Amino acid sequence: MRPAVWLRRRAEDALLEAAQEEMARRTGRPYRPIHRGPAGFFWRRVFVPIYRLLPWRLRWWVMRVLPGSHRRRWRGRGPPRPAFGDR
Amino acid sequence: MPQRVVVIGGGAAGIGAAGAAKQTDPGLEVLVFTEYEDAAYSPCGIPYVHGREIESFEELFLQGKEHYEAIGIDIRYETLVISIDLDRREVTVLPRGDLAFDTKRHRELLERVYGEGERVGFDHLVIASGFDYEAPAIPGADLDGLYYVKNIRRAMEWDRVLEEARTAVVQEATPLGLEMVTALAHRGIETHLVDPRPWALADVADPDIMQPVEESWVEMGVKLHLNTQVEAYLGDGRVRAVRTTEGEIPADVVVVCTHKRPNNTLARRARIPIGSTGGIIVDERMATDVPGVWAAGDCAEIPHELARIPLTGLTGSHAYAQGKVAGTNLAGGDRTYQPVYVPWGMVAGTWMIGGASFGETTAKALGIPHVVGIAEGISRARYYPGVRKIRVKLLFDPDEHHLLGGQMVGGEGIKERADFLGMCIRLRARAEDLATMENVYSPPIGALNEPIALAAQQGVAALSGRG
Repeated sequence: MRPAVWLRRRAEDALLEAAQEEMARRTGRPYRPIHRGPAGFFWRRVFVPIYRLLPWRLRWWVMRVLPGSHRRRWRGRGPPRPAFGDR
Repeated sequence: MPQRVVVIGGGAAGIGAAGAAKQTDPGLEVLVFTEYEDAAYSPCGIPYVHGREIESFEELFLQGKEHYEAIGIDIRYETLVISIDLDRREVTVLPRGDLAFDTKRHRELLERVYGEGERVGFDHLVIASGFDYEAPAIPGADLDGLYYVKNIRRAMEWDRVLEEARTAVVQEATPLGLEMVTALAHRGIETHLVDPRPWALADVADPDIMQPVEESWVEMGVKLHLNTQVEAYLGDGRVRAVRTTEGEIPADVVVVCTHKRPNNTLARRARIPIGSTGGIIVDERMATDVPGVWAAGDCAEIPHELARIPLTGLTGSHAYAQGKVAGTNLAGGDRTYQPVYVPWGMVAGTWMIGGASFGETTAKALGIPHVVGIAEGISRARYYPGVRKIRVKLLFDPDEHHLLGGQMVGGEGIKERADFLGMCIRLRARAEDLATMENVYSPPIGALNEPIALAAQQGVAALSGRG
């Protein structure tokens, strides 16, 4: 697996798991981590808190520098969203 | 001599590209290579035939083979493209013969065994090679009795297997998993859903949206095993059970519904640029970085408009539209595809669920600030027979009040509302716009209060600190 694909997949899994844990607790559902062991601990307890501390602009920059279709021409796009793109 | 277009893949994207290319420039020679026995059918309909909602698989075919011959599209069935040579502008093709390769592992093995094949030149190449299911790296993955829903001919064979099956395990509550659970339960098979996440469809939908679905499954006799991982398939030649983190579950059939991953072995080997999703990088014209090479469908990645990050694994309607764009442009036309908001919807259990763009869970995962408006309404006048509840959840940007996403569960009218929400997000509708929207009122088809407006009103109150 290419490094960018590996990084995105691990990060996506960890962020979704963290959000699912939070939602599960809020709605009174049982929760059990999927990824355990040292790697699971790193992504859940180190990566996720650091990601959440970063301002959106920095997170977005990291996502933007990964290779992908988002870096190609897409005329249909409107102006940058003040919603969270510029935070 | 006419220019030749080679299309790899006979699914929605491939057929869309071939048809659009021929329509734009009838002088083109268009060849489509597909591994399968058929093209132009609806694989998305397979679960509904298994579930007996659709009488036969034949109803899923859109066009007969003679239709494509008549319009000048040369479809080479049961052929496997094993390599792309960008310098020589040619692909290498093998006849599939009687070999089955429904999984990525089988296909790669076949490609290693056969080195040579027919070389076919191209002026334009469309890669529409679709997806593969994420292969479960667990013991017993080579046993018989593991069903990957993809090819209609295999589905016909599996349908006969299901006739004899008493128990089935559906592995992972992905969109296909939800459809298969509902179908198998509807068919009267004892169905177990095993998923490592805390609720079904947890990577897409929120727990409150899925709660009624899960309850309806239980009423249908489905056994839910959430927070549970499949550790091994057990059996001697043929699966008889799965071992999970919570114990053993007997199974005559295991329907493997793991996540879809772009099938990009060929593109990767040809050094066509691949993005962070594993999908082929394309622009708005569905052009790759290589002149004359296009990509569309599940093998390509498309940016999400709000998050500005690329996605793969969208729907058949996305794939078909992307194929049309690629086919039109390669033939000299000018069409663009838009970044996506991904309206989605489906039937699960006795409910319809759907939405567009972000739900609460996915917004939380990305760390996108949002305010939620939730309301419950009804689908028709309260006194009209067949009236069902609809729960609507909307997410708004706290500063500008723009709609960021929404999710719904209800008895009817979910698809239309999901499409509507997708368009509202695209047009940057605000909470206040939706809160004051006009709506159709007619007792058999619409209630006095539109549930989306009710959720938006609650959202406006929350945004102003009164919620």
